[in-house]
Formats: sequence, structure tokens, C-alpha cells
Amino acid sequence: MSREVQFEIPVAMMVEKAVQPSVEKERSVVKAVRLEMHYRMGRVTVPALRGVDLEVLEGEFLSITGSSGSGKSTLLHIIGGLLSPTGGKIFVRGEEMTSLSDSRKTQLRRREIGFVFQRFNLFPTLSVEENLKLAERIHSGGSPRHAGNGALRKELLGLLGLDGKSGRRPRELSGGEQQRVALARAVMNRPAILLADEPTGNLDSSNSELVLRMLQKLNRELGQTVVMITHDADAAAYSTRMVHMKDGRIENDTALDR
Amino acid sequence: MAIGIVLIVVTSGLARGMLGSTAERESAVGAELLFQPPGSFGAGATTTPLSLPVAYAEALAKLDGVRATTPVGRYVRSGAGGLGFELVEGIEFEPTAGHESYSAITGMRVVEGRVPKGDREIVIDRQRAADGGTNVGSTIELFGRDFTVVGIFELEIGARMKLPLASLQELLGTEGKCSSVLIKTSSPDVQEAVAARVEESFPGNQIIFTRDIPSFIAKGIPSLTVFLDIVMGLATAISGLVVFLTMYTAVSARTREIGILKSLGASRRFIVTIIEKEALAISALGIAAGLLLSLAVGALISHWTPLIVELDPIAAIKAGLVVLLGGALGALYPSLQAAKQDAVEALSHE
Repeated sequence: MSREVQFEIPVAMMVEKAVQPSVEKERSVVKAVRLEMHYRMGRVTVPALRGVDLEVLEGEFLSITGSSGSGKSTLLHIIGGLLSPTGGKIFVRGEEMTSLSDSRKTQLRRREIGFVFQRFNLFPTLSVEENLKLAERIHSGGSPRHAGNGALRKELLGLLGLDGKSGRRPRELSGGEQQRVALARAVMNRPAILLADEPTGNLDSSNSELVLRMLQKLNRELGQTVVMITHDADAAAYSTRMVHMKDGRIENDTALDR
Repeated sequence: MAIGIVLIVVTSGLARGMLGSTAERESAVGAELLFQPPGSFGAGATTTPLSLPVAYAEALAKLDGVRATTPVGRYVRSGAGGLGFELVEGIEFEPTAGHESYSAITGMRVVEGRVPKGDREIVIDRQRAADGGTNVGSTIELFGRDFTVVGIFELEIGARMKLPLASLQELLGTEGKCSSVLIKTSSPDVQEAVAARVEESFPGNQIIFTRDIPSFIAKGIPSLTVFLDIVMGLATAISGLVVFLTMYTAVSARTREIGILKSLGASRRFIVTIIEKEALAISALGIAAGLLLSLAVGALISHWTPLIVELDPIAAIKAGLVVLLGGALGALYPSLQAAKQDAVEALSHE
């Protein structure tokens, strides 16, 4: 994969962000208060989170590190509204998630959250463009008549170095290209927070660097808030703040000098 | 699903074709009235031994307004190759004291060969000859005995195989009996008056106007309607089950994709709608394949057997709607289950 790809933020996204007042820069996007999560496995209860307090501010690029079983994936899924905690509270853009109905939680996820997964999770039977269109349809409430933003799609694909590949199926793309499509899909609705679950876990080092630089660019130039889970200290180094978890607790919370 | 369509369309096509053809032949007998004993099924086709004394033909012929009568014996046997059924008629080839010959009333005539003279001789119409690949000189097995085809008759009326009434009576052990009597009136205008007279003279018997036979058959025999309803119900159940299993398997195989949809913020309604649309698309393909298959099966049956298949557009539309409904209902449970799936579990599904 070429390292020469230049990332230019799409004009449509720049305009969107440019009108936001700078005073909101420090606004809290995610706030976890005494978050608890226990999994029941037969008669045994396994604690995954033990009273986690965490606040993510708008414009932060937070990486969460920790070994397997430290609770970082559980925390990410709770922030994304895919899991409900067994204790504590979680606020996303000021809305307390645990008190929301399933339907309201789905709406919040659709509006405020973008996901990127380790395994890309593209629809294998759809082309790159169709994958993006499907996400647009979901974001627009499911209307098939929703034409979507063709210009933004094109600009995003250009930004990601995927020019000329909009008609390709995922299996016709490399792992790095698939992850970039997944990233485009995640930021299309300009979410308040982008959650990345080991986004470089299935990529070689050059593709990993491309994806990390892209996340960094989105964060720096668009002010996109990013929460990324990673095992890799090099990957975490791209973030502005690093939280290390161990045994369901936050062990370290460090601002990185960037 | 396609099989469900074939089941409905071909079965109703067979019923329609066979009944239509029967109605046409029964109503073209040249007589205005059909007289038969009480409890006879339809227009006289029966698998029970002949029960009406032939003497009725002579008695009926004496009524005012009756020009001529002829007795007819009818027997239903399994169709050629074991498919469907086949009607055999015993008729009078020559006039006898008191009644006319069948030919004199109906206009039937033997155009190849001759009329039967011996006990084991039979005549058939051209369609029967073509269907069975038989001709003058061939033999046909009836009642466990070989009958020689001695002639081909024209005018497709009544049964496609006819033998002397005396032969049929002997084979069934019902000497002096017949199934019905054809009554030709002196004029079609007097048929109602003659029917009233027959009713008055021989109460308790059935008198059928031959002009009413097509509508009589078209209205359907109650048991046949029930049979078709059962076939329709079975086809619906089969279609629903097939779609249900297809969608259940599809949903299970695509658990991960449903997890992705959820992570993108897809609502339950969106997921149910997507799966339902897919089920309807599968059903539509099944309907198209089923209709094409029905055309092919109908053509093959008509070509290779004596059965007649007349495909009915209304039955095809009904079958299509039944399958669409079955598809939509069959996919509903899997789609609701899919929409309820836990997103994290779905995403970790291999």
C-alpha cells in the first residue's frame, strides 16, 4: 500500500465543522460515571468493568489500551449503546443512555456514533458505493428514496485513496482498502464520536499507518472526536490522550504531548 | 415455492380442462333431455352398476313431444396409464323395438372401420385414437379383457370409447339396465313442457336439460371444490414453510450482517423491512419459476396423456397471491427474531 496517499478533508465536511463555535471545543461528548458491567456465565458472575469514571471531550483522540479481558471492548460497546451497563451511568452528548428505550438508543447511535471494527464489517455482496449508500439510508431513517450525498461520497473515496474503486466488492479490495471504506462509512453522518475497535488489528504496518494517519487527520482538521481501542502502543501514540485499563478499571489516564 | 404454484395452477388447470371438455361433449349429444335415476352423480358418470331399466326408454318415447329416445350405459374406469379416469359408454348401435339408435339421436357416425358386431369390439373417437396411439385393429384392455378397436367415430360427444350396450350390461352383470336415457324432443321449444311431462309420469327421477350441463359442471361439484381448496391450503402451507426455512437459514447465516446494521443505527423496523423485502423478492422469483414450470408441466401432460390441462389465469393470480402471502408471513418470525438480536453477539458471530 502506498504511503504517498494525501488526505484532503472533503469540503462538505469542512464547511459543516467551520460553522461550529469554538467555545464548544471543550464540551463533554461522553461521560461515564461509576460504570459497572458484570457478565453472567452460568452460576458465575464475571466483572468486566468495576466503577469506571471517564469523560471524553469534544475534539479528543482517545486511545484505550489494555490486555485482553481488561474491559476496554465492553467500555466501547457501552459508549456505543450496543451494551447496557449493569451499574452506573453513561452520557453521550448529555443524554443518559441507560434510561433510554431501545428505539431512542438506536436513534442516538444513528445520529451521534460511528463505528469502525477490526474486521471491517462491510457487506460482502454490496459494492463500496452501495455500502456507503446503505449507511446513508440508515442515517436518513431508512427511506429508499433518500438520494444521499453523492458529492461527499466521491470526496471521501478520493480522500481515502479509493478513486475508481466505488464499484468493487469488498473481496476485491485489500484489507487496508476495506478498512478505509469502513472508515468512510463511519464518518459519513458526521458523528459526534467515532468508536474504533482495534482498527489496525487486521492490517499490516503500512496499512495500519495509513488508517491511523487518517484518523489523526480527521481529528485534527475536522475536530472529530475519536475513541480507539488498541493493543498496539505505536497506534496509541497517534492519539492525544491514552487511557490504560486493567481488570475492569482505569489504571492510567495520560495526556499525550502532540 | 415454485412447486406450490405448480400444484395450484396445474391441479386447477386439470380440473378446468377435464370438466370443460366433459361439459362440451356432454352437452353436444343432440338430445334435449337426459333422464336418469335418482342419486346419479353429475351427468350420469358412475362407477356403480347400471341401475335404470332400459324399458324406461320405450316408455319415455311414448310421451307427447318426444321424438325419440335411446338408452346409454356408462362406466368410469381408471384412465390410461393410471392417470385420471376414463368414461366408457354402452350404446345402441342399431334401433330396437321401442327406441332409436344412439347415432340417430346424436349424429355420431363411424368414419373408419365399422360398428361393433361382436362381444369384444369397441369404437373410439379420433382424440382417443391419437392419445392412446391406437387405431382400427388395435386392442384395448377393458374389465380385464381385450377389446378390438373396429372403428373410429366422429363427433366428439359423450365418452371417447363406445361399445354395444348389451356388451357393457353383460360385463357388469346388469342385463336390461342402463345409466340414463337421452330424450330428443320434437322441437327444442317444447323441451320444458316435455320435461314437466316426464316429471309427472316418472316422478323421483332426475331430468337434466343438456343445455344446462356446461353451467352445471362449471358450478362445480362440491367435493371437487373442497379438493381444490385443500390443494390451495397445502400449497400455501408448503410455500410458507419453504420461505420460513429459507429466511431462517438466511438470517442465521447473516447474523453478523444484522449486527453491522445495528451498529450503523438501523432500527428494528428497518431490519424487518429489509428481510421482508428479500422474502418477497424470493417469492416473486418462485412465482415466475412456478408459472413457467406450470406451462411446461401442463403442455407435457396434455401431450403425453389423454388428460386436458387448461391453465386458468385467475388460478395463477390466486396462486401468486397465496405464495406472496405465504412468503411474507413465513419471513415475519425470522425477521422479528433478527431485529431482536443482541448487536454485540451478532457482531462476534462467525
